[in-house]
Amino acid sequence: MEDLEDLFENAPCGYASALPNGRISKVNHTLATWLDYPAGQIVGRRFLDLLNIAGKVYYETHFAPLLRMQGFFYEVALDLVRADGTTLPVLVNAVVRKDATGGVRFIRITIFNASDRRRYEHEMLEARRIAEAATVALRDLNLNLEARVADRARALERAWRLSPDLLAIADAQGTLLAVNGAWTDLLGWQASDLVGQSLAGFTHPDDLEPTRTALSCITTEPLIEPSEYRLRHADGSFRRFAWTGAFEEGQIYVTGRHTTVEHEQAAALARAEEALRQSQKLEAVGQLTGGVAHDFNNLLTIIRSSVDFLRRPDLPEDRRVRYMDAVSDTVDRAAKLTGQLLAFARRQVLKPTVFNVGDRLRGVADMLDTVTGARIHVVSEIPDEPCFVMADVSQFETALVNMAVNARDAMNGAGTLTLRLDNAGNLPAIRGHSAAPGRFACVSLTDTGSGIAPDQVSRIFEPFFTTKEVGKGTGLGLSQVFGFAKQSGGDVEVESEPGRGTTFTLYLPMIDGEASELPATTRDSEGFPTGEGQCVLIVEDNLEVGRFATQILEDIGYRTTWAANAEEALEKLGADGAGFDVVFSDVVMPGMGGLALAKILQRRMPDLPVLLASGYSHVLAQDGQHDFELVHKPYSAHQLGRILGRMVPRRRT
Amino acid sequence: MSVVRRHNVKQGGTSGTAMVFAHGFGCDQNMWRFVAPAFEDRYRTILFDHIGAGGSDLAAYDVERYATLDGYADDVVELCRGLSVTGGVFVGHSVSAMIGVLAAKKAPELFASLVLVCPSPRYLDDDGYVGGFTRPQVEELLEFLDTNHMGWSQAMAPTIMGNADRPELSEELTNSFCRMDPDIAKRFARATFLADNRADLADVKARCLVIQSSEDVIAPQEVGAYVHRHLADSAFALLDATGHCPNLSAPAETIAAIAEFLREPSGG
Repeated sequence: MEDLEDLFENAPCGYASALPNGRISKVNHTLATWLDYPAGQIVGRRFLDLLNIAGKVYYETHFAPLLRMQGFFYEVALDLVRADGTTLPVLVNAVVRKDATGGVRFIRITIFNASDRRRYEHEMLEARRIAEAATVALRDLNLNLEARVADRARALERAWRLSPDLLAIADAQGTLLAVNGAWTDLLGWQASDLVGQSLAGFTHPDDLEPTRTALSCITTEPLIEPSEYRLRHADGSFRRFAWTGAFEEGQIYVTGRHTTVEHEQAAALARAEEALRQSQKLEAVGQLTGGVAHDFNNLLTIIRSSVDFLRRPDLPEDRRVRYMDAVSDTVDRAAKLTGQLLAFARRQVLKPTVFNVGDRLRGVADMLDTVTGARIHVVSEIPDEPCFVMADVSQFETALVNMAVNARDAMNGAGTLTLRLDNAGNLPAIRGHSAAPGRFACVSLTDTGSGIAPDQVSRIFEPFFTTKEVGKGTGLGLSQVFGFAKQSGGDVEVESEPGRGTTFTLYLPMIDGEASELPATTRDSEGFPTGEGQCVLIVEDNLEVGRFATQILEDIGYRTTWAANAEEALEKLGADGAGFDVVFSDVVMPGMGGLALAKILQRRMPDLPVLLASGYSHVLAQDGQHDFELVHKPYSAHQLGRILGRMVPRRRT
Repeated sequence: MSVVRRHNVKQGGTSGTAMVFAHGFGCDQNMWRFVAPAFEDRYRTILFDHIGAGGSDLAAYDVERYATLDGYADDVVELCRGLSVTGGVFVGHSVSAMIGVLAAKKAPELFASLVLVCPSPRYLDDDGYVGGFTRPQVEELLEFLDTNHMGWSQAMAPTIMGNADRPELSEELTNSFCRMDPDIAKRFARATFLADNRADLADVKARCLVIQSSEDVIAPQEVGAYVHRHLADSAFALLDATGHCPNLSAPAETIAAIAEFLREPSGG
């Protein structure tokens, strides 16, 4: 009995008995200890008095009714309240004990400490809550991610679709995997025409090799410098594209920018620039013309008056010689002048040649007198030692004339223009460009004119900038100077002091070497050559020149026959040219002209020498001399005699 | 689905005056198993389960509709009209006492008499009003409901394992009398314990009986007295029985009180 009592009191669970009215009649020691109440204080209370508020409500609404209806409840989770107000999680079982008549004797309540279990449950619920929250977060993240991926895909698709450049993805062999809509717009191909095809099949045959090279390099290094090649349009024509691209994960990604239009524009620009250069030259020629006409009139005046004197029968010998020399010198000067003009105006492909600046400068300086007029004194300070540069001679001369014209206008037609060559200079810093190493030829033109206002100095090289009245200048002159200097690897500097004058300095890089042009001068050192009665067929359409040539040749010992054109000449020569030793023909004539005649004769009568005469080198510059002897107009009797003497075989005596 | 099926309606008794029994929070119509039969000889007894309880149609549960007691009162009106109840007797236990008050207000023709067993128009104490619960106590109760720490220990496993959609696994084993969907029970508790229907008492035109238990932690005597005081026409019966469910713990005393009330002439 004592054993049972001990079991009741100290069992590892709480025991309580309640009367039919619900009041506790007995509790064991274990329960009293758990709740920290003396057992006596528990007896007499209702079981629900031991519960917290939630337990009371649950007990009254759920468990008490059950106990009434089914006589028991098992494993109900409740919190008991200890004496100190803390709670003890428990599991409660209850069963109604009845007597033989079915009346309630008592209610047996068994209570298990569920602290640990409740804690586990709490932790597991918390873990579940966290897992659910994580699941929700993950789902949201996935949805968000999907939306972002979709957004990004849409943006990429849009960029791909809207790009004005050709976009393509190809495999490492160059087979197209995907192309954008620009291929249809620019090349007329549909994607279905292209995908699966090799890019090479659409490439211009001439561009295949460079394309292959570019594509093979792309696998190791991105193609950043645009590689340009042509693709075939659906209509069979070719369009140019500048390609860039990269190789990633086994695929080639390329972008092709359409450049056909750019090329057309560049070509049009080049044509426009060429036309501009030509017009600049014409401008300079126009500037020259007035001066040249004036100069020529002066020269003609000398010749005319000399000839008038020479006609006087009583002219003393020493005066006759002086006038003769005057005429001869004047003709030389006139010839030189026209020669320079022709060289200057010559249409030639712009190409840099090596020339001696000093020589050219001297030549131009002589000519500048005619440009600037008599009241401007031209001074040249040109050293003797050669100074070679590589530049376009024609442009160089144009530049000098342009600067001289500018100086002339700045001086209002009167003053001093100094041409100076410094062949040991260097290129200083000009307009923000740093100084350049190396030796430069410095050609300066200094005038004593009005100078340039400081606010205009920076603008004078701009095309079409001019301070001159309408009709007096195009504004292209100094821009040509600037362009020429820059293109030649040099520069142009201007220093000006208003009221005192202006110095333009043209810098051109010097090179070591020899002039590529031939010496222009020939010496007349030999004695006066004479003929031995050989027969010359003169072909000349101009009556005066023809008459003059006839007289000269007869005077120096030739017999002559005169034909007025090439056709007539052929008639006179007959089948074998019998009776003629040489043909002396003008080049520019109505009809077939001298050159065609020479060619015919060269074929038919290879032993008959032909001498051509021309005052206008343009024709021969175009066609070449074809190995014919040539004498430039104006020629002297001395020149003509010397050349004929060399060409015509001596008569067998 | 018909109202009868939806609410698991069980009718008994004669074809006389309808006597509608409504259960409170925690149980189902079994709550009336010791009381209703006593009236079958004179009344048409109607027992039903609130949506979410017993054999009701759980699919009919609507969170918004049942967020307050109004939704339950609407159910009673609909159910009684469906069963052609007029001038009947409404017997409501606990929270259903107030559901009956609301239903009578909505459709006065339904009931001539209301029997309010352990009623409370407001569980929370208020200025000058004793409801029996302080605010922290109500909050503690609702928190326990939310955390599932109280009640059937077997219900914890499916809650933890996430198969709470099969509560029958645990419920069937332990309890064939007081079945209630755990989620709905939580919401019902919230609707019950946060309700304040004191103002509705004055609108009741029917005769009322307030049955008050001697010791009731959920509806103390002060509350029963308050209800009695604020009803226009009510009788008050204080039982010797203790606890919140005299209909189970003291059915005879409860039956006697109701029978006596119904025997009294109208207006007496």
